[in-house]
Amino acid sequence: MDELRRTYHDDLSQAKDELVRLAAVVTESIPRATAVLLDGDLEGADYIIRGDDEIDARALDLEEHCYQILALQAPVATDLRQVVALTKMVAEVERSADLLCNICKAARRIYGHELDPKLRGIIARMGEQAQQLYDAAIESFVENDAAKAAAVDDMDSYLDGLQKQFVQAIFESHAAGRIDLQVAVQLAVVARFYERIGDHAVNIGERVRFVVTGWLPEHKGAARFKYRTDVTGEIPRIPAASLPDAADGHD
Amino acid sequence: MGLLNRRRETDGASPELDDARAETDRLRLELDRARSTLDGLPIGVVVVDADGAVVSRNRSASFGRGHSEVLISEAIDRQVRQALDGRESTAAVELFGPPKRVVQVRATPQADGGAYVVVEDISERARLDAVRTDFVANISHELKTPVGALAVLAEALSEETDLAVVHRLAGKMVDEAHRAATSIDDLLELSRIELGGSAVRDPVDVRQALREAVIRSLAAAEQRDIRIDLDEPVEPITVLGDRRQLVSAISNLIDNAVKYSEPGSDVYVSTTREQSRDHAWVGMQVRDRGIGIPAKDLDRIFERFYRVDRARSRDTGGTGLGLAIVRHVATNHEGDVQVTSIEGEGSTFTLRIPVAP
Repeated sequence: MDELRRTYHDDLSQAKDELVRLAAVVTESIPRATAVLLDGDLEGADYIIRGDDEIDARALDLEEHCYQILALQAPVATDLRQVVALTKMVAEVERSADLLCNICKAARRIYGHELDPKLRGIIARMGEQAQQLYDAAIESFVENDAAKAAAVDDMDSYLDGLQKQFVQAIFESHAAGRIDLQVAVQLAVVARFYERIGDHAVNIGERVRFVVTGWLPEHKGAARFKYRTDVTGEIPRIPAASLPDAADGHD
Repeated sequence: MGLLNRRRETDGASPELDDARAETDRLRLELDRARSTLDGLPIGVVVVDADGAVVSRNRSASFGRGHSEVLISEAIDRQVRQALDGRESTAAVELFGPPKRVVQVRATPQADGGAYVVVEDISERARLDAVRTDFVANISHELKTPVGALAVLAEALSEETDLAVVHRLAGKMVDEAHRAATSIDDLLELSRIELGGSAVRDPVDVRQALREAVIRSLAAAEQRDIRIDLDEPVEPITVLGDRRQLVSAISNLIDNAVKYSEPGSDVYVSTTREQSRDHAWVGMQVRDRGIGIPAKDLDRIFERFYRVDRARSRDTGGTGLGLAIVRHVATNHEGDVQVTSIEGEGSTFTLRIPVAP
């Protein structure tokens, strides 16, 4: 490897390491935020909320580092996808950290209100599941494993199911007069935060697939869009049979 | 082969060279020995040079890419930077895991401008500290509360002339005295079990023990409209131990299950068998569909006087020693007790005892 390429690869692997470190902070903070919520730990809430500033600063640095690599090294092919994917993933990680802050802020708002064991149990499980998704997504990133990355999407459906179950439990708890409407609303929002953290993990997984295969789920939608414009336009360029099925889900 | 031949050729030809070679071999041996000693240590050791580049790390300090390990590596980097500035520095990294643990990272500067880092898992030490402080606070709470209540009631009684009030106060004093007596009884029972060790080793039929324990809890269960389902093992299982202790342990578990179940639900008592290469175990399992136990309390509920919810514990009337007794009975029988729980869904306790050969 010539000197120039070596610097580039060192640079890139440094950026990748930093993403893994940032994601580790987020992964670690998921059970921490869950404990804050379940134990009404105001000190812990403060710790996570203050820690977010450092994550923001580090995410910005990492993003700039990626731009620097793009500008100075002009990578191509897989390498280019690698760097572009990194800039996207930084945003996912940074946003997930924000969501954890939001969970802590919700914990402050409902401080002192007792929750049903059933609600607490589902919160604990949502936290565990969100953390597992994050772990799996980062593992697929570290190992460049497209198959593992694809699995993250399927794992996410379990978290989505928990969220629905949780909302149902909130209704029951509220109907039985065990929680106020305000607490109920806060809890519903908290469930949404966990679900979104899971979605960010799925997005990271998709970026990993993009690095390895060059494919993004948006390609399906884009292909459909192209097809539609073609039939209403002049020459349909793609035969309909070769198009992905629109009923596959929204991409 | 070639190397050996060449060595033989130089034999005697150059004594200095032979000496140097012997010295190199000796040093290499010593280095290997030091390295394998370091690798055998349960603590992680990382050595860096003056530029901060890692010179060597032992096996306990080889971290993977799991998020906890990434965070430990990051803490090491941070401490190393301080040590390279000539300051010894220590940091405790608290990790939520899972598993939850506390890791201490200490970096010390070395004379050559480099540094070495020692990484040690101090979770157990941190846990024991918490146990110790909580124990003192909890025991005084459990014992002082009824005694304090007695003092206040007695004071009120001494100045009371209304007979109806005297009766009411006296009744309350009896309740409080009973509460204190139960706590002391349980404490004595616990120290008896702790001291008793493995004194009694009689064959005990697990089915009989389970039946006896279930019968003890029937009245309490009926009162709360809870059904106890006993799924007996098909074949008789015998363990060696103290029958009275085993029944009391199982009965403690069933009592708890009844206490923390929703009225109208059921408690399921069953057995499992485990077989490894040189051990056979029987697990006596008690499952409830009650309120469950918060994750943060799960590894602490077997401590003496530990309470998940102090406000509630006075209503349920336990002494806070039941699970401590269960754990000691398990230890006395070379077994263990485990728990899994999800809040709102219920808990499962498993008392595992080796099966008699």
